[in-house]
Amino acid sequence: MRFMPEGKYLMMGNIAMSEGALAAGLNFFGGYPITPSTEVIEHLAARLPQVGGVCMQMEDELASINAVIGASLVGAKAMTATSGPGIALMTETISMAANLEIPFVFCDVQRNGPGTGYVTEPHHNDIGLMRFAGNGEFQVITLAPMSCQELYDLTIVAFNFAETYRCPVFIMSDAYLGHLHEVVKIPSKEKVEKMVIKREIPEDIIGKFSYKDESTGKYIIPKPPIMGTDYCPPMFLSQPHSLEGMPTPKPQIFTEMMIKKITSNIDKIALTDTYKLDDAEIIIIAYGLPVRASYRAVDLARKEGIKVGILRLITIWPFPDEKVKETVKDAKVVIVPELNYTGVIAEQVERVTNLNTPVIRIPNVCEIHHPHDILKVIKEVDK
Amino acid sequence: MSGIGPMYPNEKPENPYVLVSYAGHLLGNYSSRLCAGCGYGIIGHIFTRLFEDEKLDPKLYPLVLGIGCYSQMLLTVHYATQKVLSLHGRAPALATGMKMANPQMKPIIFTGDGDCLGIGGNHFIHTCRRNLDCIILIFNNSIYAMTGGQGAPTTLFGAKSTTTPYKMFENRSDGVKLALAAGATYVARTTVAHPRTFMKYFRKALKHKGTSVIELITPCVTYFGRKNLNNLGAEYLGLKGEKMDTAGKMIDWIKRNSIRVNQAKFMNEEELFNKYIIGEFRYAPDQPEYSDEYAKIQKIARGGI
Repeated sequence: MRFMPEGKYLMMGNIAMSEGALAAGLNFFGGYPITPSTEVIEHLAARLPQVGGVCMQMEDELASINAVIGASLVGAKAMTATSGPGIALMTETISMAANLEIPFVFCDVQRNGPGTGYVTEPHHNDIGLMRFAGNGEFQVITLAPMSCQELYDLTIVAFNFAETYRCPVFIMSDAYLGHLHEVVKIPSKEKVEKMVIKREIPEDIIGKFSYKDESTGKYIIPKPPIMGTDYCPPMFLSQPHSLEGMPTPKPQIFTEMMIKKITSNIDKIALTDTYKLDDAEIIIIAYGLPVRASYRAVDLARKEGIKVGILRLITIWPFPDEKVKETVKDAKVVIVPELNYTGVIAEQVERVTNLNTPVIRIPNVCEIHHPHDILKVIKEVDK
Repeated sequence: MSGIGPMYPNEKPENPYVLVSYAGHLLGNYSSRLCAGCGYGIIGHIFTRLFEDEKLDPKLYPLVLGIGCYSQMLLTVHYATQKVLSLHGRAPALATGMKMANPQMKPIIFTGDGDCLGIGGNHFIHTCRRNLDCIILIFNNSIYAMTGGQGAPTTLFGAKSTTTPYKMFENRSDGVKLALAAGATYVARTTVAHPRTFMKYFRKALKHKGTSVIELITPCVTYFGRKNLNNLGAEYLGLKGEKMDTAGKMIDWIKRNSIRVNQAKFMNEEELFNKYIIGEFRYAPDQPEYSDEYAKIQKIARGGI
């Protein structure tokens, strides 16, 4: 039984994510237990064999991500879940997957760091690592859910992005979100099936695999090749490949298409949400768990007549430059509450705002923001 | 591979296997990027020959390669094979994913000594432990040849390399013993100086259901032979050695340094020191195989017995 019956369930975040993956057609999970993502592999070890899939506990993170790539090569929808130290080990293969253009989904249930850190506390400190995972230049997609419902929904979106753009897709969860129990509304089977992009050999290409559009001669993002069928390039080398799928001595063209396949589709990839933004002078830019505190802070501030609104980033990588630039161009102040000290996204916001618009960080490590923390800052800047 | 290496236009046009190699199929003549005297040509040729003769379905026998000189064998192996060049040491892990996602497949893994017993040791052990249906070929040339002749986990005691310029003083890692201890169900070792034995073992591995590990001793003239004397492994005899700077001298040395497993039973430790024991070490065809066992688990999970 791949799809849970339609209805409302009380679910843990990690399990909601696993169910979302199953609904999206997950066939292979390779993982290694690591707090706080362990529930994912525990749940899928029970659920995947029921639907004819495979859940493997590998010997280490390196093996689990490589098994995921192998499974994806032969046509399975594959994913893995891990936390900080795990993603650090996996970066080598993430970079290879980006090179081979193999789709896979990666759930990072973040915990405190550096090193072993404080393992049961949330800390959005892997954001930079997700963006720059591995050697080489490539682009990834990172989605930041803020509730268990979104963990379910955005996992389906993540699988679709992986199938479409054939790049590593991360789901950015954290220790609190992963262990949060919330009501999740599971949609009907028909509704989910309509959303999901299936892994299949395209009929119009008739078994021939190419990165080139035959009529225009330009790069296209083809449907993922499947080993063990005719729809497969002659060899998979983790080296720069040309439009024909063969190794090329001119890596610039290759690098360009690696980057452009994401940046030219940024309108479709960069998902954002707004809240009371129309007349706002003070703008909060947030993602993940701090958004929930921001909603409350904005409601409280609006009662006192302060014009404040939220731009919520659902996709954090690629960073939606144009969208943020457009939103903050008339803002008096931009506030960025983040679950880390440096303010990785605040740096990105600073990059696109006017030089005279102050960007105020609200750093918080291992503890989610209280709405009053944010409200205090809003009141201070409103004076 | 940015270009194709030297070509040999007069290379035995009557040999039909040349034309089914990857480069031969594309260009009509043989080409490779391997050094003179390298053993990988022999291995690639035997693989291609078996692939052609046994009429293996390329869709069911994907080739997974690690990183080493043998990555260049992409050009010399059968053109129809579906190949993946994986990361350094991770080929068995990648093959695990492929096999489990499509249980009809039987991945053939090309790894080297540094790749399999060095960086990928953990993946190798655990693939053997699971008894996953695949063939692991370990090409042991006692050296890290692609990076320029550094010491490997398999470098013989007393041998010279660029990172052990005086002599190698570490204990040697033994792929066969490791595979036996980890639980591989078909374990054999042979050398490129015994190509027919290799063909026999490889045929057997193709029919075997479970992890087959075949270690192949191959010569590296460029980085191992030129630096070492041919009395290596026979120091106790007090011979005066000469440099193994040609393929012939290296093949001679490999033949002399290999002891058959039934002979080795009657030899003491001193005599076997720095020697390669060749032969079949284990053949257990009835052991449970991982993907079969997982299929049973899937049946239980669905409410079967």
